[in-house]
Amino acid sequence: MTAPSGAPAGARTPIRVVLVDDHRMFRTGVRAELTEAMAGSAPVCEFVGEAPDVDSAVAVIRGEQPDVVLLDVHLPGGSGNGGVDVIRGCMGVDSRAGGPVRFLALSVSDAAEDVIAVIRAGARGYVTKTIGANDLVTAIRRVADGDAVFSPRLAGFVLDAFGAAAGEIAEVDEELDRLSAREREVMRLIARGYQYKEVAKELFISVKTVETHVSSVLRKLQLSSRHELTAWAMGRRLL
Amino acid sequence: MRQDGGVPTPYQPASAGVRGLGAPAAGSRVDGTPGPPAPPQRPPLVRDRSGGWTPGVCGAIARHLGVSRRMVRWVFVVLALAGGAGVAAYLFLWALTPEEDLGHLADPDAPVEPRVSPERRRWVLVLAGGVGLVLVGVALLTPVLGGSLRNSVLLPLFVIAVGAIVAWSNLDEAHRSRWLGGGRGGGWMRLALGLALALTGILVIVTRGQSLTAVWDALLASTAVLVGVLLVAAPWAVRLWQDFRREQVAAARATERADIAAHLHDSVLQTLALIQRQASDAGAVTRLARAQERELRSWLYSGPAGSQESLAAAVTEVAHEVEDLHGVPIDLVVTGDRPFERHGAALSRALREALLNAVRHGRAPVTAYVEIGPSGVEAFVRDRGDGFDLDDVPEDRLGVRQSVLGRMERHGGSARVRRREDGTEVELRLPPLEGDQT
Repeated sequence: MTAPSGAPAGARTPIRVVLVDDHRMFRTGVRAELTEAMAGSAPVCEFVGEAPDVDSAVAVIRGEQPDVVLLDVHLPGGSGNGGVDVIRGCMGVDSRAGGPVRFLALSVSDAAEDVIAVIRAGARGYVTKTIGANDLVTAIRRVADGDAVFSPRLAGFVLDAFGAAAGEIAEVDEELDRLSAREREVMRLIARGYQYKEVAKELFISVKTVETHVSSVLRKLQLSSRHELTAWAMGRRLL
Repeated sequence: MRQDGGVPTPYQPASAGVRGLGAPAAGSRVDGTPGPPAPPQRPPLVRDRSGGWTPGVCGAIARHLGVSRRMVRWVFVVLALAGGAGVAAYLFLWALTPEEDLGHLADPDAPVEPRVSPERRRWVLVLAGGVGLVLVGVALLTPVLGGSLRNSVLLPLFVIAVGAIVAWSNLDEAHRSRWLGGGRGGGWMRLALGLALALTGILVIVTRGQSLTAVWDALLASTAVLVGVLLVAAPWAVRLWQDFRREQVAAARATERADIAAHLHDSVLQTLALIQRQASDAGAVTRLARAQERELRSWLYSGPAGSQESLAAAVTEVAHEVEDLHGVPIDLVVTGDRPFERHGAALSRALREALLNAVRHGRAPVTAYVEIGPSGVEAFVRDRGDGFDLDDVPEDRLGVRQSVLGRMERHGGSARVRRREDGTEVELRLPPLEGDQT
């Protein structure tokens, strides 16, 4: 909240972040951790608001127009779909910088349908709440830049859902229902716990290319009508 | 009384009934021993809802007393001939015996006969019975209207009773809500039929010896009264029904909440207490919290799909075990699955060694990825330690390496240890199963 004013002027303005989670303890914890992690250097992000439920989240996001929203998957209020409702309620809201508001799902849930539902609603990434502070800062920055953030577990889901683990490979990159060979490699490395940097090194490609591949997988994840995906995504809504 | 509609009833040994009923009734009793039923553990008097088109009274008694069902039926028939006592007893028992869904438990050895839509069969019977009763009613009514046979009170009463039974028979718990709530045409038809019968009976009693016009007037009047009563009572009845449903739902919720509370108490609260007592030991706290998290997670999300016999489940278990031993969190991702056999067992043992190694010598986060696909199984274990120098710790590491490597090779797979800038990665590979199935 209170960005150290004495910090040297960074190359970029801090990313404006709204934190949506129904546990006050968790919100406080994340804020404290991130502030600590960013102490000493130019602040990467600043917290401009927080909300405990769907309706106040939508109000805060519309009011503050942040760059990134850290979004819990399970939230009270709305029509009962938690994070998905927040994303739907904020359709078309732009950040003050002019780009779209981007969502990073932050969850303790391991259930595939939760994760897939929030990604398909439009979140740019998914990380677990056990993520380290530094990794979270990196993830926020990446999402603010419009890239996708995949946890190892989400990569595992993707490999399973697209049948990539079973050897199904798209012949054309644009095919929505399958991953290309390269995307599969990237997903496999992420599932093995590699950072983007390490993935790039392993595959002899640039980090930017890795980001492109991950974004392309995210797009497929959001648009594909593959049966397993839709079944997972529907599962939660039908409950 | 189960699904023996047109088929001659095979003699039902009493022990079969006992075996079937032992489970729902006694709960603790697990017996498979055929033989004379032990008197102290006589099954309760319960009608079987699951099959057949009769109410199941005879079957219930036969099960309860441990005698042949056919015998019970004959007793009823004989009693029925003796002044109608059998009929009265049957109706009485029908009304007062609770029914339960015994399903196929009752005769596990009986061949599963494909049901020729018992629902439909039941309907045919009920309809036939209803039509017959209507005919009887009319036959009774005609002479009365004609002026003869005035002294019969018993017969109209009988018709009334039968009408009521037709209307409400088998409208037992499960069916009642569906028929009345769901608006199934058949249910209403049966209800109307029964009501008509009962009304006819009442009219016959009331109008004995009167002329046709008087009967007509009475009919009109009673119809008006009935409609009026219906109009008055309907909202009240509906509200009563809704209240009843609401209470049911509330009760179900309360039970569920109690279950959850019990589970949380046994697991989470206990762990929290343990954590408070060991607050000074950071390692123990992490271990406890992690173990509890895992347990709660698997309870909430029912863990990885598949049975305990699958490779994915085995691998997951191994990772959890190592986590518990050392208190270092392991991020495990598993995709795909296959049956658990000896090669898979070797892989999970090798994986265990690799994980132990990573946990002992590396630094968190330790990540493991297991991909089970048609081209084989690949497992990766990665830690963020400083890597290792072969000269520094050759004995321990090499020993482990040999056991991991050797084990994988013995099972047609391979293992590789890669040293990376920030840690070590162990790769295990296993070829696909021969013929894709063992």
